[in-house]
Order: sequence, then structure tokens, then C-alpha cells
Amino acid sequence: MEGQKEFVQIDPNDLFPYLLVNIGSGVSMLKVDGDGKFERVSGTNVGGGTYWGLGRLLTKCKSFDELLELTQKGDNRAIDMLVGDIYGGMDYSKIGLSASTIASSFGKAISEKKELEDYRPEDISLSLLRMISYNIGQISYLNALRFGLKRIFFGGFFIRGHAYTMDTISFAVQFWSKGTAQAMFLRHEGFLGAFGAFMSYEKHGLDDLMVHQLVERFPMGAPYTGGKIHGPPLGDLNEKISWMEKFLQKGTEITAPVPMIPPGTTGLGGFEVPLSKGSTLRPDASALNVGVLHLVPTLEVFPLLADPKMYEPNTIDLSDHNELEYWFTILSEHLPDLVDKAVASEGGTDDAKRRGDAFARAFSAHLARLMEEPAAYGKLGLANLLEMREECLREFQFVDAYRSIKQRENEASLAVLPDLLMELDSMDEETRLLALIEGVLAANIFDWGSRACVDLYHQGTIIEIYRMSRNKMQRPWRVDNFDDFKERMLGTGDRKPTPHRRALLFVDNSGADVVLGMLPLARELLRRGTEVVLVANSLPALNDVTAIELPDIVAEAAKHCDILRRAAEAGDLLVDAMISPSNSSKESSTSVPLMVVENGCGSPCIDLRQVSSELAAAAKDADLIILEGMGRALHTNLNARFNCDALKLAMVKNQRLAEKLVKGKIYDCICKYEPAN
Amino acid sequence: MDPRKSENEGNLDPDQSGLIYQMALDIGGSLAKLVYFTYDEDCAIEGKDGMSPEKAVAKSKGSKSCAVLRGKLNFKIFETSKINDCLEFIKSVKLRLGGCQRQENPGSQAIAVKATGGGAYKYTDLFKERLGINLDKEDEMDCLVAGANFLLKAVHQEAYTYMGGQKQFMDVDHNDLYPYLLVSIGSGVSMIKVEGDGKFERVSGTSIGGGTFWGLGKLLTKCKNFDELLELSYQGNNRVIDMLVGDIYGGTDYSKIGLSSTTIASSFGKVISNDKEIEDYKAEDIARSLLRMISNNIGQISYLNALRFGLKRIFFGGFFIRSHPFTMDTISVAVNFWSKGEAKALFLQHEGFLGAMGAFMSSDQHELKKLLENKAVHQQASSIKACAIAGDLHGDESIECCVYSV
Repeated sequence: MEGQKEFVQIDPNDLFPYLLVNIGSGVSMLKVDGDGKFERVSGTNVGGGTYWGLGRLLTKCKSFDELLELTQKGDNRAIDMLVGDIYGGMDYSKIGLSASTIASSFGKAISEKKELEDYRPEDISLSLLRMISYNIGQISYLNALRFGLKRIFFGGFFIRGHAYTMDTISFAVQFWSKGTAQAMFLRHEGFLGAFGAFMSYEKHGLDDLMVHQLVERFPMGAPYTGGKIHGPPLGDLNEKISWMEKFLQKGTEITAPVPMIPPGTTGLGGFEVPLSKGSTLRPDASALNVGVLHLVPTLEVFPLLADPKMYEPNTIDLSDHNELEYWFTILSEHLPDLVDKAVASEGGTDDAKRRGDAFARAFSAHLARLMEEPAAYGKLGLANLLEMREECLREFQFVDAYRSIKQRENEASLAVLPDLLMELDSMDEETRLLALIEGVLAANIFDWGSRACVDLYHQGTIIEIYRMSRNKMQRPWRVDNFDDFKERMLGTGDRKPTPHRRALLFVDNSGADVVLGMLPLARELLRRGTEVVLVANSLPALNDVTAIELPDIVAEAAKHCDILRRAAEAGDLLVDAMISPSNSSKESSTSVPLMVVENGCGSPCIDLRQVSSELAAAAKDADLIILEGMGRALHTNLNARFNCDALKLAMVKNQRLAEKLVKGKIYDCICKYEPAN
Repeated sequence: MDPRKSENEGNLDPDQSGLIYQMALDIGGSLAKLVYFTYDEDCAIEGKDGMSPEKAVAKSKGSKSCAVLRGKLNFKIFETSKINDCLEFIKSVKLRLGGCQRQENPGSQAIAVKATGGGAYKYTDLFKERLGINLDKEDEMDCLVAGANFLLKAVHQEAYTYMGGQKQFMDVDHNDLYPYLLVSIGSGVSMIKVEGDGKFERVSGTSIGGGTFWGLGKLLTKCKNFDELLELSYQGNNRVIDMLVGDIYGGTDYSKIGLSSTTIASSFGKVISNDKEIEDYKAEDIARSLLRMISNNIGQISYLNALRFGLKRIFFGGFFIRSHPFTMDTISVAVNFWSKGEAKALFLQHEGFLGAMGAFMSSDQHELKKLLENKAVHQQASSIKACAIAGDLHGDESIECCVYSV
């Protein structure tokens, strides 16, 4: 139009119509025919509320997550009546029911002289979960069938990224549809709220809802099944595409139509471990290509982005084949070490090893596919690649591969923190600010994502490496705007600038990085009257610290530091008053608050078009952003512009990246300060 | 063609009954169902200790339009977990059964009894050892369908609808019976598309069935048996436990999407928000919620399957129903609701005995059947016509019936 070409979506028609199944307390099923065109066609009153409600009555669990967690160790055979129980261990093969098919959920409770107390809560929870999930899957499938819909999207809090519920629902759909329907999953909790908004659809069309909040994920099994990767199906959502893999279709084909275990999942929660034929992959390239569509309705565009439309998170463009090859090599080389860590994090059991193998195979397969066809999943950036690795780990139930390493390093770092703080406090303001920035850069060397740094670890203790690293900090750094930053902070001569109102600190790694680097910097800002918000990952990625872990770390640090303690109290981080039991009044909390928010992602990188609404809300009052670490300040966002002051700090722990980005060398430092314009 | 006048006391006590002639068993996961045929006294007039069917037929040959064989089909249930009660019962009637058989087969071989259900496999050895009975296994689905087909065709007003507390009996036109969806609600639920005699396919099912109601109910309420639990549900109020649409939308109907404020949005959903323990809820309310959850779900899945295969009738059977008004009401409402009034749920008077009845009918050495076949040769047409005794028909019951010739 008028000489301008509008970008045209290639095949938006591929999406509609589909069935949207929202599993909240109850279950709603909507037939979606197009943007804003939908109809509630069905539903069931047996939903997440039933699971949680019955589960609570039966197990005394205090939270939904706790209840769900129990299923992992459950064995539903204790309570469910299986076909084998009725047939004396035999299959009812004539109609294709194997001995392990559930004939009657909770049916075994009838005949046994047992009280509720005699059953394990784990078993009860698993029976409940399977009962409800299978039922939802079945009714969804029947409704999809009724309207001739090939895709079913599942969302709502019951799913909430829980592999167990997704597995069982997905299996039910596969089972009942004999592989002709696709189960896809939407992420997650906020969808319920979004659904509420949707209810008042005069205001919010589903269209709006989806454009902002859907994140397409891809099936991990796709390279194996030979099936087509479905993506990106969401019309306008190209730019919002990120990664996930789901349900490696590994192991044996389902021959018996029995809700046993989805092929490729891994003996979870008392599921029968399938007898996979060695490691042979599913031979039949069936039409079924289970994908995962995560609805992340809490995700919003980071409000401080100067130009969201022009924003491109990725610094490295992987459309350059050499670049791509290099990073693939890096990731491939790092893979064995990662698998070891992941397997060890799950206790090194046979099951963990099996999953580790599956993860390695699946991830390699994706890499190989991307090498062949870089655009296979849409536009490819380094951030996507790194995120894919994390998602892939989670798919194979490696919840947190670096859990124990992170703990160890946090403890070691917290042990030396008081000494460091004392040292810092003895300095004058100017020296201290420099020392703090040096400290952040030096501590950033502790990074399990960097091959070079992993090698370093074998050569000394944390504090030794930290000091060595800090001593090597020779200014000027490769990118060095420290003086500008200092001027903004301390002013020149007698002119004292007003301190920032609120600073968002995007933290990176656990251990020394956050404890010896970012916490002291946060403390300095607090001392100057700036509110501090520590922004951390929602989900684990490598050894990155998560928002769940941070309060404990802060609490521990606060034991040795009044500034941190008062700020943490003011920010409600120390709710239990575990630090100062004598002092329950708010009057000592004259400090500005120190807070923690999750960023909404589980990747070493961050795409600022998709952050948690919590972070978006926290950002509204912020006038300083500090991005720290390679993932968040180099791989992504190095070139991002903000409406407020921004400081990007990182040590470049990769030779190639150093050459490429800053024409420097490994261990060069970046201190990029950009004042608001 | 007229049925014999009813004898309400039934034939529970074998000592008072006539001769046990043929027996069949359906041993499910929760209940063992027994169907057996006894002669009427007047038919067996010649000898209390057993008159062979041939003699009975011979006796009746004189009177042309008279029934050739009169007796009762008796129905009895036992809990599978108390299978010993069942064995004891059979033992008590075995003498007569055996006596009858022994007359035919002086060799005193093991007695064969038709049986179906999973327990037919599981308890094979037990029956053999304890009673010397060989369980002659018949396929469960075959029996279910055969039983349903037989009852629907042979028993006057076997089927009925249940709406608003009213039973509406109906006779199904034999020529317009098929196809239909048979939903058998036992411990679990099987859904079978029936297209004719012996022509059927299990198309679906759900594990949320009678066993779930009873199992969960037992865990939640400490009820000792199924009937007690059902009884409780009469007095309950599910609003205390279920989250209703009205709870979410503040009491106003959410009519835009066709939901009334009393529609259950989430079964047991209210438990989430209340800070109560299991002891704080009334067992009655729990039983009610549970029953509604399960009945509604079965109704819904059944309807969806009927829709899928274009079946206009859905017959519900299986022990779970037990002519329990509230169960039937919920299922009916569910079918009505989901089909927007286009489909109706139909129930069977002998809902719990479809499998056992089918097993009973399946025997090809079945003396009764032999007789019928003989008669068929002679008389061109014959059938069993049976009539249900009016009244409550759960648990132990009997149908007066007679084999007659036309």
C-alpha cells in the first residue's frame, strides 16, 4: 500500500479452527474459529478444583504444588482397580485392554479393608491426577472430534507447566484419538485471569489475549518422528516465538490402547516404565506431532524499552552460517558435561541416566536439524538456542541440573561476604564505587555456562579466584563508561546528584556472582536511598540464580549486614523476622526496600518483550537498570535502548564473542553506561 | 402370553424355591451377579427332586397354547470381596443343581456353569476346588450385549426414562432397536455401540465409574457399603462442596454461555477455598457431590460418544445405577443438558444383570435353549417371554417367566 509492503503472514489459516481447553477449577472448552470468533462448546466440572479439592480432603496437603509433587512418588496401582485386578493379572485382550489399564479409578479402595490413613498420599494423588487428566483428555478429544478439530490447546492453572498433568492429558488424547489429534499446551497460571478477562469479551477479544501472551513451543520429538514442526502457527506471533520441546516420541509404539505411559516420558510417579526397544526411536512417523504451546499471559513488554517495535534481543545473528556452526560446536562440546551435571543433580539413578541420554539425543537432534535448516523453527538467535537447551532439560524432568553446585557456591560465597563488606566499608566513596563495579565484573567470572571458566574452577577457591580476577581488572576496560556512571552517582565537585529512585538489577549466576558482585552493589544503592529490585529468573537455567532462591540468599547475607537487613525487611523479604525476632515494629524499617521479582523466563538470556507482569509493574518506578552477565547484557540486550539510565556489566568469557562484539579478547570487561536521553 | 402372576417373596431361599435349573455368573470387580432359573412348583409337580425339562415339555404338550415351561429367573448379587458368601449360596443350591445334572449325567462329572466378568478368570480355581464347578467363561462384552438385547426384546417395559422423578416405561420396537449405545456402569464404565445381535464394538469407556464412587466415598466418608453411601447422598447438599457457577459469578447466571448459577463449575472446588478438614464436611454432602460428579461425567461422555456414532438411544446399565433416583436423574440431566434436549437417557430395569443374563443365554448346551430350538422346529416360532415384577428391583429379585409356544 502506497509503495509500502505489508508483511504478510504465510499461513495463518493453519491455526484455526482449534479447541481451546482451559483447565481451571473447572474446565471450559471453546471452539475457536478465528480471531475473536469462538464459542463455548463444552466443559466439565471435573477439573483442577476437583483434583485439588479432593486431594486436600484425602491427603491433607497444604498446597496444590505439594499435592502434585506427591504424584512423582506415587503408584496408582495401590488404589485404582486395574483390568489385571479383575482378570487375575490377565489382559482383556479382545477389546485391547491390557492388565495395567485402569478399569476403575479408586476402585480398589472398595474391596480392601483399609482406611484412608492406610493409603499413601502419594498413591492417592497419582490416582486422582490420572483420573482427572484422562477424563479431561477424553472429553476434549470427543469434542474436537465432534467439530472436526485437529488441534487441542490446553491451558489453565492445572497445567501450569507441570509435566505430569501434561503427560497424562497428552496421553489421553493420544490414546483416544489413536494419534490423530494433537494435544498442545498453553502455559499457565495467569491464563485463568486472562480467561476472566475473556469472559468480558466486549473489551478483550481472544485475539488480544493471544497476541500478547502466547509463546509457541516446539515438540522435542519432532526431529525423530519425522513429523512437521508446527510453527509458528499463531499468525502475528512470529516475533514472540521461543522454544520448547515436548514429548520425545521415543521407545515403543503404543500398541495396546492403554493409559500406561506416554512414550518418551520417563517412568514418572509410579508410571510403568515402558519397555523401550533399546534406544530405537519411534519408527512410525505418525501424524501426531504433539507440540506445546505455552500461554504465558503474565508476560508483558518491558515498559522501559525505548523502542519496543525496533527492539531485537539477540546480539548475535545466527543467520551467518559460520556463526551458527561455531555456536553449535560450543553447545555440542558442552553437552557431555551438562548431561553429567544433570544426571548427578537427580541422584545419578538409572532413571536419571536414561533421561540424560534421552535429553542428549533429543538436543543433538534439534541442533542437527537446525544446522541443516536454521529457519526450521522460525528466526534463530543465540538466545533461542540457549533457551532451547534449558527447555529441553526441563522436558526431560531435569528440574535444576545445577542445584547442588549453586548451593555449594552460595554457601562458600556467603561465608566470605562479611569480610568483603568490611573491606568495602573502609574505602572512601569513590574508591568504593570502583571496587564495587570491579567486583561485579570479577565475580561474573563464576559462570558454568562458559567453558573457559569451568576450567578455571579447578584451580582455586572461590575467594581466590575472585581476588585474582578483581586484581586483574585493569582500566580502561574494553568498553568503559565508568566515569560517566560515577558522575551520575557521585556528581562532580560539590554538586551532589539526586540518587536514583529505584534500580532494577538483573542478576546472573548463583554463588560469587550474585553474592560478592551484585549484592554489595545493591547494598551501595540502598545506602544511597535507592530502592533496589533484584530481578532473577523464574526457572533455573544453568547456574543462574532464581527468584525463588534469592530471598534465602538475601536473608543469609542480612545476618551480617544491617543495611541489607533493614532493606530486606522493608521489602518484606524477611517475613519471618528470622533476623531480628525482638524487633517486630515497622519503625526501624526506615530503609528503602530491597525486593526480588521474577523475570518470567527460564533462559540464560532475556527477551525484554516477554517479562513477567510483576517485573513490568516494578519497572514503572525505576530509573536505573543494571544488566549483568553475558546472557542478559551481551548475547542479548547489548544494543537495547532504555528510557532510563542503563548500565550493562559483563566479563566476556568467550574468545569469539570478544572478537565479534568488542574486538577484544577473552576476559575483557564491558562497562557500558547509557544515561536516559 | 400372559405372564404368571407375581410372587413377591421371590426365590431367595433355595429351600423354598423350585428346582434350580440353570445358573450363570457375572463376577465383576465389585459385585458378583448371579442369574438362575427355577421351575414353578406346578410345572415340577411330578417330582420335587427334579423333573427333566423334556418331561416338563412332554407334560405340557397336551395343552397347545399353554406355556411349556414356567418358572422364574432369579437375580442375586454378592460383593466380590465377599465371594465366599456367593460360594456358600451356590453350595446351598448346588445339591439340586447337581441332582438335576446327575440325572442327566450319571458319570458325575464336574458341573459347568457359564460365567463372565473378570472374576470368572480370577476365581476359576476357587470355584473348582470349593464347589467342583467349572466356570465356563464367556466374553464379558458378548454377554453384556446379549443380555441387554434379550432383556430389551423379551421383557415387557424393560426400558424407561427418568426425568423429574418420574419413570416413564417404554417398549422398544424390536425392529427399531438398533443401533444403540450401551453404557455399562460397573466398577468402571464401558460404552458399546450395538448394531445387532452379536454385532457390537466397545467404542469408549471411562475409569470413573461405580468403583470410583464407592472407593472415593469409602475413603471420604467411612461408609461401610455402597447402599449406605447412596442413601447418604439423598440427604446431602452438594453446594457446600462443589463450586457452582453462581459462586464464581456472584449468584447471577452466566447465561451468555448457557450456564445457570447452579451449574457445577468445579466438583469439590469449594474445598479449595475453605479452610476445613475432611471431618468438617458432612458425609452426606460429600456423597452427594461425588455422585453428581460421576453421574454427570458418565452422562456427558456417553452423549458425546452417541453423537459421534449417530446413535439415537443411550441405554444405561450396570450395578452403579440400581434404580437410584438421584443417579438416574443426574445422568438424565447430563444427557439432556449436553444434547440440548435432543437425546434421552434410557435405563434398564435389570440394569445390574446384563452380563449375567447374557452369560445365562450364551450356553449352547443350555437345556432351555435346546428346548426352545426343539420347539422352534416343531412350532416354527418360540421365544422366552418374561415379565418383570413391578416394584423395586435391586438386589435380589426375580422375573416370572415362561417358555411358551405360539
